[in-house]
Amino acid sequence: MSPNRRELFAALLTAGAIRAAHAADEPVIPGKRPMILHNDRPEDLETPVRYFDSYLTPIDAFFVRQHLPRPAPIDRAQYRLTVNGMVSKPQQLTLADLEKLPQHTLPAVIECTGNGRGFYSPKVPGIQWLRGAIGNAEWTGPRIADILKLAGASESAAYLETDGADTGAINTPDFIRSLPMKKALHPATLLALKMNGQPLPDIHGAPARLIVPGWDGTSSVKWVIRLSAAAQPNNGFFMNPGYRYPKYALPPGTPARPAELEVIEGMPVKSSITAPEDQAKLPLGPVTVRGFAWAGEEAIERVDVSTDGGSRWQPADLTGPKLPFAWRLWKLDWKPTQPGYYTILSRATDTAGRVQPIVSPWNPSGYLWNAIDRIGVLLERA
Amino acid sequence: MRIGIALIFLGAALAADQATLDRGQKEEARDCVACHSLRLIHSQRLSRATWNKELDKMTGWGTKITDRDALLEYLVANYGDDKPAPPPAMSQDGAKH
Repeated sequence: MSPNRRELFAALLTAGAIRAAHAADEPVIPGKRPMILHNDRPEDLETPVRYFDSYLTPIDAFFVRQHLPRPAPIDRAQYRLTVNGMVSKPQQLTLADLEKLPQHTLPAVIECTGNGRGFYSPKVPGIQWLRGAIGNAEWTGPRIADILKLAGASESAAYLETDGADTGAINTPDFIRSLPMKKALHPATLLALKMNGQPLPDIHGAPARLIVPGWDGTSSVKWVIRLSAAAQPNNGFFMNPGYRYPKYALPPGTPARPAELEVIEGMPVKSSITAPEDQAKLPLGPVTVRGFAWAGEEAIERVDVSTDGGSRWQPADLTGPKLPFAWRLWKLDWKPTQPGYYTILSRATDTAGRVQPIVSPWNPSGYLWNAIDRIGVLLERA
Repeated sequence: MRIGIALIFLGAALAADQATLDRGQKEEARDCVACHSLRLIHSQRLSRATWNKELDKMTGWGTKITDRDALLEYLVANYGDDKPAPPPAMSQDGAKH
């Protein structure tokens, strides 16, 4: 080995050793099991698929997407929710005021608008989520409609603007979102105070967060401190150009056309395979293929699975109620008789007849990935 | 053997520009950490044009970049779209905290 090569190999070995040493230094995120760490400050944490084995995703496994540094924890006694704008009785509501309103509970998925971004090619900027920026939890709190009624919101207000307590460093824009009033007044749209029966944890928006069932996760603003009835939608970064999708599909790799971007609303139909894990090696024998499926404001009608790359499909067994907003778990008991490498696919169909596509349209921000899911497994004789 | 030779050439090519890359890495450490950890950068694999646009976006949000060319070279050399995706990092167990 020449001196040059020796040096180079030594350098490569050192780099490897440094990486190995750093693995033990990864941060602990209080309240969370080991999560896929895309960003620790602020926290962007993806749920590993192996945790998706229950209808309700446990809080300690639920994904986290923070746009901005987390605000200082909000004291429950000091908390005030401002309700203003086009209202006849502006309000400063305490947590006790909100708890006095009728409380409603519903299971609903929150999925990051960019879940699956890492599957797009060419690559687009943003967190490279794969399957795990999603979770299904039970949310409890008053209806937004009841809060707006308390404040006497004008019937001519077309939008609800929501501000979270998080603020950006330097000139990073504030996180403000607008919802069409029709969706804000929907009986399933809540100001959640509880998640899976527990007071909302700080990392998920304590003490109160919006839940906008069936819409993209970014609609469900955390640490809500202000609701404003308005005539027009907010036009800040997180409404425009953030979280917009091309009205007309673009050739992959081409820049967005700002005038042709639209606000994302309801989410598409989608299924994901959670077991086996992609590229798993398993002994030849029966395998349970499992996953979840959801369809935004629709419910899941069926999930079909192929274990041969899409030649033949079989219906999976669905569990759980057929509800809009929430996911359904599915499984297929597969009894392969031959060893080898298998490509397994899952394809969901919803109650509106939407079917998961083979190709998810490329878009410059990598939103709304919902292509038929695909994993590979190698079955070997024991 | 061929791989070994290829590595030597790769090493030489990198070494030629090492000073710029070092300056770029210093820029990154100075400019990018006010709002987020470096993981957010290091987990992505983007083309030169896309990294350049990201620098525009961050500049617009108030990041002061002194040596933008060096920062861009460093990002492309280390986190270009021709590089393989990094293995996922996992946080340590915090469920009991």
